[in-house]
Amino acid sequence: MGSLQEMIETLERDQAIELITQRLSSGENPVAILNDCREGMTRIGELFQEGDYFLAELLLSAEIFKEAAALLSPHLQKEGATDVCGTIILATMRGDVHDLGKNILATLLRAQSFDVHDLGVNVEPTDLLQKVKEIEPDFVGLSALITTSFESSKQAVDMLEEEGLRGKFKLLVGGGVTTNTFKDHIGADFQTHDASAGVEYCIEYMRKAG
Amino acid sequence: MSNEGYERVQTAMRLEPTDRIPVVPTLLPEPAAGLAGVLLGDMVKDNTLVVETIFKVFDEYGGWDAIYPGFYIPIQLQVMGNFPMKMSISGQELAPDIPFQLNEQEILQVEDYDRIAEIGYDKFFQEDYLWRITKATPDEVKKHMDQLIAADGLFTRCCANRNISRLFTGNGTHPFFTLSLMRSMVPFTQDVYYNPEPVERALQRMTDDLIAAKLAEMKHWDSNIWLFTEERAGGYFFSPKMFERFWWPYTRQIVEAMWEHGIVTLFHLDTCWDKNLAYFKQLPRGSIALELDGTTDLALAKEILNDHACLKGDVPAALLALGTPEEVASYCKEKIDIVGAGGGYILGTGCSVPPNVKPENFRAMIDTAKNYRPKAVL
Repeated sequence: MGSLQEMIETLERDQAIELITQRLSSGENPVAILNDCREGMTRIGELFQEGDYFLAELLLSAEIFKEAAALLSPHLQKEGATDVCGTIILATMRGDVHDLGKNILATLLRAQSFDVHDLGVNVEPTDLLQKVKEIEPDFVGLSALITTSFESSKQAVDMLEEEGLRGKFKLLVGGGVTTNTFKDHIGADFQTHDASAGVEYCIEYMRKAG
Repeated sequence: MSNEGYERVQTAMRLEPTDRIPVVPTLLPEPAAGLAGVLLGDMVKDNTLVVETIFKVFDEYGGWDAIYPGFYIPIQLQVMGNFPMKMSISGQELAPDIPFQLNEQEILQVEDYDRIAEIGYDKFFQEDYLWRITKATPDEVKKHMDQLIAADGLFTRCCANRNISRLFTGNGTHPFFTLSLMRSMVPFTQDVYYNPEPVERALQRMTDDLIAAKLAEMKHWDSNIWLFTEERAGGYFFSPKMFERFWWPYTRQIVEAMWEHGIVTLFHLDTCWDKNLAYFKQLPRGSIALELDGTTDLALAKEILNDHACLKGDVPAALLALGTPEEVASYCKEKIDIVGAGGGYILGTGCSVPPNVKPENFRAMIDTAKNYRPKAVL
């Protein structure tokens, strides 16, 4: 039998979940199990960046991690284990109800210890503003599959500017219809069609920020 | 069908040089509403208003070479199976100025793959699946289809009055894409990896059914182009290994069956297909055209498929919604110069014209194709 990291890397879903269950039953520290899962997910990200893995593999690994996290969560809470490396708010803004890409990014970020606040789809600019005030995130990520959310995204950023909050986080935009034109239009810091690149951006920024 | 614009399109499809690059924007009801100042909440109920709005825009912008025959109201796309999903509709689940959208939900179940393989897709869809996704009653479904047939007649008359043609007549969704929409992306991807045999049985049956249905459908039209849509199979989503197993064999069967009857398959391919372009060289020269959405590298497509497949695209939606007319014109000229050289190119939009396109940008795109003459083309 391979290691948990290898099982996740090779997308052996059932075997990975079975091994996690066994290790929890044997009383192993859930933090160690979680770290192994994260190591597997990091390797998935590397394989994606190297062009050996595709969105399908990212998506499958994200599903494995979600199942693993659901198993580990009660044990981690008992241990009081919290190691957040950064905080991000994600949203698909008003005018767009698509969320596949956003959901993949959310799971991949959680796999890398980010605290993700997912506001969902068709989000009003005022709701985003409120959430930014409330949790003071390191990042805000806006997802768009159609251009009809461009206007509400810009409105939200303008509101954040007016409140003096825009300089306090990095703004990411992603999704099929986003381009550098859109990134420049709303003054975002980063644009991608690639969830893995979004995760890399956040990790690198937090690493540099110390 | 014979008119100057359509002949220009056909010439490009045959990979021959044209007097100028033909232009065919994917003008669907949603951007037509935006350009004509009509509320989407009104458009979703009335096919006649949709047809009138599309042609109002066509006339106001001086026309173009062939017209995209998308004169639906959203629920008809659901009923006909183009988008076999639950929907949120303008003025109903969504605000009246927001375009209809598809709800990604797991409706198809694993056991349905073999049901499709057994009884065929159409029977499965009409007798079972449709009623899982639609709010319409059988009587309402019939009414919607009758409305669509009436709109088709109006659309035909509007084309005849202007001596223009539809870009394509038949259209279909790739079986792979259809299953992904019905099952939703995550479970479908899991099925493909962890339980592939039922998926393959359904894909083969759907391929056989699609070929028979489309060949029959195309007999009724004086046209040799049909539109074939796929948005989830390219190298952005799947490895070449998966692509070769689950997409390419079925695609090849379909294209070759159509081409045996002289029918050209116009692929509508969203997301990035850079890693898949070379596969299309395996298909007969001139049997296909690729409509690309701005994420596939059109210049690379030209390099790989030059003198083999006509290309169409790809002014990005974001540029049309946010850019300036100068930026749009510059983008179009660059594509005409690079991709249009030697023929085999139709200037089009990346996917559809966005609902919030700036009118001046739409005009810049149409006018650039009409007026720009690169040396390479002349």
